[in-house]
Amino acid sequence: MNQSSEPIKKPIYYGWYVCAATLFIGFVMIGARNSFGVFVVPMSEEFGWNRTTISVAAALGVLVNGVTQPFFGQIFDRTGGRKMIITSLIVLGIGTILLSLTFHILFLAFMFGIVISIAQSGPAPSNTAALMSRWFKRRRATAISINSSALSVGGMIMVPFSMFLLEATSWRVAWVALGLIVLTAVPLALIFLRERPEDRGLYPDGDPPPPEGAIGVGRNRSGGPLEVETWKESFKTAPIWQMAGSYFVCGTTTFVMSVHFIPFAIEDRGVTGATAATIFGYMMFLNIFGALGAGFLSDKIGGTKNWLALAYSIRGIGYLVLLTLDSVLGLWIFATIAGFSWVATPVLTSSLTADVYGTKALGTISGITFMFHQFGGFGSVLLAGLLFDVTGSYTVPFAIVGALLLPAAISAFSIKERKYSSRYQTLVPMPAAGD
Amino acid sequence: MASFFSFILAHQGDSADPELLHWIRERLDQIFGFGPWVIVGAMSFIIFCIPMSIIVVYLMQANRRSASKPKHESNSAEGQEQEQLP
Repeated sequence: MNQSSEPIKKPIYYGWYVCAATLFIGFVMIGARNSFGVFVVPMSEEFGWNRTTISVAAALGVLVNGVTQPFFGQIFDRTGGRKMIITSLIVLGIGTILLSLTFHILFLAFMFGIVISIAQSGPAPSNTAALMSRWFKRRRATAISINSSALSVGGMIMVPFSMFLLEATSWRVAWVALGLIVLTAVPLALIFLRERPEDRGLYPDGDPPPPEGAIGVGRNRSGGPLEVETWKESFKTAPIWQMAGSYFVCGTTTFVMSVHFIPFAIEDRGVTGATAATIFGYMMFLNIFGALGAGFLSDKIGGTKNWLALAYSIRGIGYLVLLTLDSVLGLWIFATIAGFSWVATPVLTSSLTADVYGTKALGTISGITFMFHQFGGFGSVLLAGLLFDVTGSYTVPFAIVGALLLPAAISAFSIKERKYSSRYQTLVPMPAAGD
Repeated sequence: MASFFSFILAHQGDSADPELLHWIRERLDQIFGFGPWVIVGAMSFIIFCIPMSIIVVYLMQANRRSASKPKHESNSAEGQEQEQLP
């Protein structure tokens, strides 16, 4: 009859294999992208380009990647994602290999700025997070956080790898090697990527099927009241604006620090470049724990919006410490506080978006909210540069973006999660769900 | 204009700053003191271990399941996985 009492070790839920595969995909993808900086000096020296010229290719890549994200999200929603991610990986791998043939800045701008950057929108975190949201419900934030932390780890391993590879060989060989590494993710994607648990006769989280005749059984079981079929519907409701608004602030507060933290530490706080870089590296290292911790706590304790508001609040406290504590200690405290919140916010925002709006249009919705994040980032960096030129200090721009964290925290906290999130819906009595 | 483009290289989600990378490499050289090929080999091993370990765990589990299949043919009714080897 029933084997629940048999001493059979429960198999690993297939969703974790999907999670592991997307982890490696994110790892190699972000590694190949972040490694571009390694190639700036040798390529510039060989072709006589200046820093601005080569930066144009990178800038073009950022813009193309940001703009194409919602379109790839739509493809993801319509086709399921598997084919799109695999095709993107193949294009990304071949494109990276072809960078070894660079002979002119226009070739680099076309290959890196357009072809590779478009291909990177396929396995982008917004899409892999949407994929994780289909496979996980109770452990959704944890799965998304594992994916997000893979991006940090990818940068930490792949960038030094590229540096040493470049030292051992040449930039052309290094691009080929990076491209081949990207292509190693293709078989893994072919083997493990499946679009939804139903494809393998499973339920999200590996839960048992709901009892026969339960209300709402089917695709809409336990769905939230705002679950949407198209992204347009979501933008007629409040939570998406609350999340996109706070995500915009997330972009402003992270981009501005990524660019201006080291100059601020050197010029305003009087530390050496090496110390400033160490503090910044330490902050980036804490990303991993912040992302994993946020995902775990959100799933374990619940109240995703509360954790999101907390992440914005502690980042705000970090800004306050940075501006009021005029010493190296202030930099370290800021790095510790802000480091934990750096990647926690995207994890929690992605998870909450899936909980509120369901997974049918999640790729597009996540792609659009990601654009808000990027717009905030671009605006804040330009504003900070402008205000620094006018005032001669970073105090005013940092105070402005830091102050935005208060409304961001309030905006996140005011989301009616209990009303709208699928986690709090009780349509189906699911004994194993633990909601 | 130059500063506008240069900030993009410094963003954490994108290409790392070349000067920062140079500094990191020097620090790594100081700490490990190995030649570049040793580090490339070690890092390649780590990178390839990730997909290989995922596949190995999956195959081990699939083998274990197929070995116990005749005894538990009715597993599917409980929402257990019905996986085949890829």
